[in-house]
Amino acid sequence: MPTAEERGAWLFFSLLQARAGTSLVTRLGNIPPSEAMGMPPERFAAATGCGEKVSSHFAQMRRDFRPSEVVGMLSEKGVAVVTFADDGYPARLREMSDPPPALFVDGGIPDGPYVAVVGSRKASPGGLDAAERIGRALGGRGVCVVSGLALGVDGAAHRGAVSVAGKTLGVLGCGIDIVYPKKHHALFDEVRRGGAIVSEYYLGEAPLAWHFPARNRIVAGMCETVVVVEAAEKSGALITARHALDAGRDVWAIPGPTSMPECRGSNKLLADGAGVLWDVDEFVESVAPDGGTASAASETSGVSEIPFEVPAELPAGEAAALSGVGFEPAGVDVISARSGVGVGELLSALTMLELKGYVSRDSGGGFVRKAARR
Amino acid sequence: MTVCRARSLALFGIDALPVEVEVDVSAGLPGFSIVGLPDAAVQEARERVRVAISNSGFKFPTRKVIVNLAPANLRKEGAAFDLPIALGILAVSGEVPPERLDGLAAVGELSLDGDLRGTRGALSMSEGAFTEGIPTILLPASNAREAAATGKVEVFGTKSLRESVEFLRGEVELRAAEPEDGANEGAFDVFADDFADVSGQGYAKRALEVAASGGHNLLMSGPPGSGKTMLARRLPGILPPLSLSESIEATKVHSAAGEGNGSLLRERPFRAPHHTISTSGLAGGRSSPRPGEVSLAHHGVLFLDEFPEFSRTALEVLRQPLEDGHVTISRVAATLSYPARVTLVCSMNPCPCGYSGDKRRRCRCSAGQIERYQSRISGPLLDRIDLFVDVPRLTRDELRGEGRAESSAMIRERVASARAVQTARQGVPNSALAGRRLREICALGDDSEALLSHAIDRMGLSGRAHDRVLRVARTIADLVGEESIAVEHLAESLNYRRSSLADG
Repeated sequence: MPTAEERGAWLFFSLLQARAGTSLVTRLGNIPPSEAMGMPPERFAAATGCGEKVSSHFAQMRRDFRPSEVVGMLSEKGVAVVTFADDGYPARLREMSDPPPALFVDGGIPDGPYVAVVGSRKASPGGLDAAERIGRALGGRGVCVVSGLALGVDGAAHRGAVSVAGKTLGVLGCGIDIVYPKKHHALFDEVRRGGAIVSEYYLGEAPLAWHFPARNRIVAGMCETVVVVEAAEKSGALITARHALDAGRDVWAIPGPTSMPECRGSNKLLADGAGVLWDVDEFVESVAPDGGTASAASETSGVSEIPFEVPAELPAGEAAALSGVGFEPAGVDVISARSGVGVGELLSALTMLELKGYVSRDSGGGFVRKAARR
Repeated sequence: MTVCRARSLALFGIDALPVEVEVDVSAGLPGFSIVGLPDAAVQEARERVRVAISNSGFKFPTRKVIVNLAPANLRKEGAAFDLPIALGILAVSGEVPPERLDGLAAVGELSLDGDLRGTRGALSMSEGAFTEGIPTILLPASNAREAAATGKVEVFGTKSLRESVEFLRGEVELRAAEPEDGANEGAFDVFADDFADVSGQGYAKRALEVAASGGHNLLMSGPPGSGKTMLARRLPGILPPLSLSESIEATKVHSAAGEGNGSLLRERPFRAPHHTISTSGLAGGRSSPRPGEVSLAHHGVLFLDEFPEFSRTALEVLRQPLEDGHVTISRVAATLSYPARVTLVCSMNPCPCGYSGDKRRRCRCSAGQIERYQSRISGPLLDRIDLFVDVPRLTRDELRGEGRAESSAMIRERVASARAVQTARQGVPNSALAGRRLREICALGDDSEALLSHAIDRMGLSGRAHDRVLRVARTIADLVGEESIAVEHLAESLNYRRSSLADG
């Protein structure tokens, strides 16, 4: 068991790391943290190779730091803290090149295996659908779905996992008492219930832009496998994938249409040799092979199907409209030209198809084809 | 007798109130003063009138001249009292027979050489004269055609003070201005912007047709250059033709703002104020109130391009006109109201950079930026918008198109018959339906009811969106002359919801 002093020291370095923005676990190397904390600022800087800015933060923060107060405040808010010295510290995260000195945890970190599902915040309906299905399938297999609780793919993956009461873990780029994005208020609660929300940042820390790439290394570090659903060429999801590759984790990606900028990054990963996720069941089978027979049922049982008459055969008008809808989003006029159905009739056919689950609509009003759920 | 009276009219909102101009010339030191709450422009009438009288070849009395503008408690503004003041003075000095000033209202601004300049609100003045029981109105020739449009009073246009005097003396004959022959309704359909010139964009055209038919307000979202403004400009052309009474009302507003062109308005107005517009620019105002853009668009289309860029306070003032059809302006001097029944068309980009969802240009906005941008338009004004439509950028092939598209005249015929159905059924356009009447008039069959409740679950529609969908479905049914709302009407209506965000 780590001593209180040791834990306090890691906690201190956690706060210092967030303030100074430099990775201290690596810099400390073999120096015991409590010893490093006791050093005069100049010696600390020399021993760790930090600059003047860090050592002045070090001096100032050490003056004000009362470990018992911090721990008291945390337990008052029901937030646990897992430091690098603790046994509860995720083993895989320890293997990373730059592990966080401490993690703040709201909820209980579920047992593994862990699979990260990440991707664009502006994903297409198809991408969101895929993320949710993967989340559901993994959740149904007892795999913990790890993601960043962001808009788009992240949120869809979490949602999929909680919809089948699966395990899930959300890693934030801000203090865990801050809900960001605000829209995900309800999802935050659900994720807390289904697992935990963790962050390396202390309570109240704002969601600053540079926190998110750093957060991604934790997402990658927690997991054996990372799935990239849709990612543009410069995106956070690709950073996660790079961290995962650096740490020797498996990276999978879902192939997307060639013309979609939101899929170029993930398609590039495939070209570079990432695992091709072409079938959700096959993927789940290869990540968590011991699931057995229960899996197939669990994938569909979570679908909140509202009873509605879906005829075996579509009416002629709707079938004609569907023939004009492709896998890349297309506007109403394009679909009308492709299918030869007039706009007025097409609009009503598309709504029916949408309600029946054959097509879905993206943020720009484009329609894409979707696998119907029956 | 040294007091002579001339009658005139003062513009108040878009109505004209009677003003009596009393002129007294008495012994004393030569002087000229005007009383009766005149503003600066009226005060300056002294110099204009004095010079114009002398330059017209008459003699200005070298005695004490006092002009009273009654009623004394009404604030008079503008230069339109020049003519009645001059005529009053000339009546006292015997140049004009005073009895000829009975039963006549005079309005007009004098220039120094005695010519008359046009005034604003001529049509309102002739209506005001009619309600006051004044049979004849004398005003600048450039305003005569406009003022004669009602045909209720005899309107004489005159070019100069000299001509007015000669007319009143009976030395020259003036012809009373005729009401425009265009005043019959069929002629009110000349439009430069025609849908025949727009190829492609069937979705947006369909939405505009529905909007025109039900009087629905509409929001278009699309990348720059996709043709939102071009489409909006063509909306007035498919609205039902202006009736004579609508035309008169709209002309009165334009004339009161000084934007009249001397004749009746034949086209439905299309106003597209810039997004930097101030509250009073939009709603009307200034210390001496003038109609704002929303009133100038009366019976026409108010187009707000770059909708999210408008200031929140400016948009707030649109709520009353959109609800009640008029806008009330309160100032220290008075409270007045301008009519403002408009079809509101808004346009916006899907994201701050404009290219979200565009095929060829990459959007550079973060998800947070897009959310913030779109949340700027959430709010009460959004409740008044029934149709949301995405306008994509067209490819070159689509732009070249398949030749000429359907003309505005053909669309307008369908729109007019749909409007007629609504007027016969409920007296107002479908967009004005709410509450119990909405439920009654938009009652659904079992199939449609099932579809709607399914859609509410599946698409997460709010209560507001529910009403909106019903109103629009009613209009779509009216367009094809159906008595009840069928499943396909409802389904189409569901497609005009807000696509990007959960419906607010």
